[in-house]
Amino acid sequence: MELLSEYLTYWSEDYSSILEYMYEHILISFTVIILAVAISVPLAIYMTKMKSNKIKSLIFNIANVFQTIPTIAMLAIMIPIMGIGFTPAVVALLLYSLLPLLRNTYSGMESVSSEIIEAAKGMGFSTFQRLFKVELPVAFPYVMSGIRVTAVYIISWTTLAALIGAGGLGDLVLAGIGYNDQYMIFTGTILAIVIAVSLDLVLGRIENIVKRA
Amino acid sequence: MKIKSFLVASLVALMFLITGCGDDSSADGGEVFTAAAAKNTDSKINVQILKSLVEDQTSHEVEIVEDLPASAQIFAGIDRGEFDFANLFSGEVYNNYFDDVEYSTNPDKTLKQAQKFFGEKYDIKWYDPVGFINNYSIAVNRDFAEKNNVENLTQLEEFADEMVLGTDNAWIERDNDGYKGFQETYGYKFAEARGMDVALMYEGIANGDLDVVTAYTVDPQLKEYDLKVLKDDKHFFPPYEASLVARNSVIDENSEIDKIVESTVGLISTEEMTDLIYEVDIEKRSIKEVSEEFLKEKGMLD
Repeated sequence: MELLSEYLTYWSEDYSSILEYMYEHILISFTVIILAVAISVPLAIYMTKMKSNKIKSLIFNIANVFQTIPTIAMLAIMIPIMGIGFTPAVVALLLYSLLPLLRNTYSGMESVSSEIIEAAKGMGFSTFQRLFKVELPVAFPYVMSGIRVTAVYIISWTTLAALIGAGGLGDLVLAGIGYNDQYMIFTGTILAIVIAVSLDLVLGRIENIVKRA
Repeated sequence: MKIKSFLVASLVALMFLITGCGDDSSADGGEVFTAAAAKNTDSKINVQILKSLVEDQTSHEVEIVEDLPASAQIFAGIDRGEFDFANLFSGEVYNNYFDDVEYSTNPDKTLKQAQKFFGEKYDIKWYDPVGFINNYSIAVNRDFAEKNNVENLTQLEEFADEMVLGTDNAWIERDNDGYKGFQETYGYKFAEARGMDVALMYEGIANGDLDVVTAYTVDPQLKEYDLKVLKDDKHFFPPYEASLVARNSVIDENSEIDKIVESTVGLISTEEMTDLIYEVDIEKRSIKEVSEEFLKEKGMLD
């Protein structure tokens, strides 16, 4: 009970800075998610239409390499190129999120059976009609699950932005570790979870609405 | 058949490996102790010096656990009996551990309080300082300081509203000795304050993204990037004097180790430690090699 009241005091004293960290966290992670979806999903769809397997595997390999770079090294590389703060954090996280989105969308599109595509062709659909009326609706649940998984990853990875001066809830966690304050660590962690779970719920809703439509 | 015997052999090897880990006697029949160090290189050098001395003069061995994130994790390990020795700093006593500690920037008082409070709470002996001091400090580019004739933190006020501060993630949130306290003591703040990884902080000031950083006084990057530490003319930063600590139960049973740790009191000055860190961090030499070379120079190791 005493613990709870102490924790509430911490909130009442620090709420403005806590909310500021949370706002920074949301700003960074949502920017990354939107950009990542805007880049990866069209690219993956385009890749399923590509004839050359070489270029496909080249793109996958590049995305793979980005994901294997240790995060602290990635941030260190970013500084001379883009400086400190929001931009390098977003770019670094974007590079990490390419692969999971690319892979999920690509395999979702590949899962559309060739019989359905042939049938659509037989009905006289053009390439674009086929894409929007047949392939995308069939692949949509796969694409969406890729987006949901990646979004949760990105929100957790965004804690790293604190290492490069971009703020976010990672700042609160690291400050708690350095300053021997369990409340800060707990608050930073729990708020990141709250953001991730709420976003996942919202995306789930969107998925259902689109499916019904 | 071959696969089967290979499997059996690897299983046996694995069992030896696992049981080997649980064995805590050294090759010479002594005990194996554990020493803890945080992420900073000065802590690692200091426990390596302890290890080299103990292994040279006794039959015991010392295993080093390093890169612990902060002092709280070291104390947790001491409390659980996992760490027997550690490198710690006197100023930690103000780091949110005790409610009844009296904040002071006086080095002797800080040391006495650290020895008393931590000594009682964790049943450890907090030795007198090794000699080097790893304070927080505020540093700027030397060119800037010379051009504008800035020597101390009071003089920096005039430029502060156009400067971006880079600091570790904890300093912004610290009460007494952090950014809040700094603003109260000096009466100004910087245009922007950003928390980040310490290694990246130096990249940032070298790169021109930052104008001011909170450096530690032993950091060799101060030399590497030609930064100037400004004088803390209002004595705001608390002293962080490094000390070795040992669990009382260990040194009570091994008085020879107690003597060895006592022999490191006053051994390394701040300048000497900065040089040693420079060798490790910038010249990329091993901590063991650099520490033992230093001990040989001091005539404490053959």
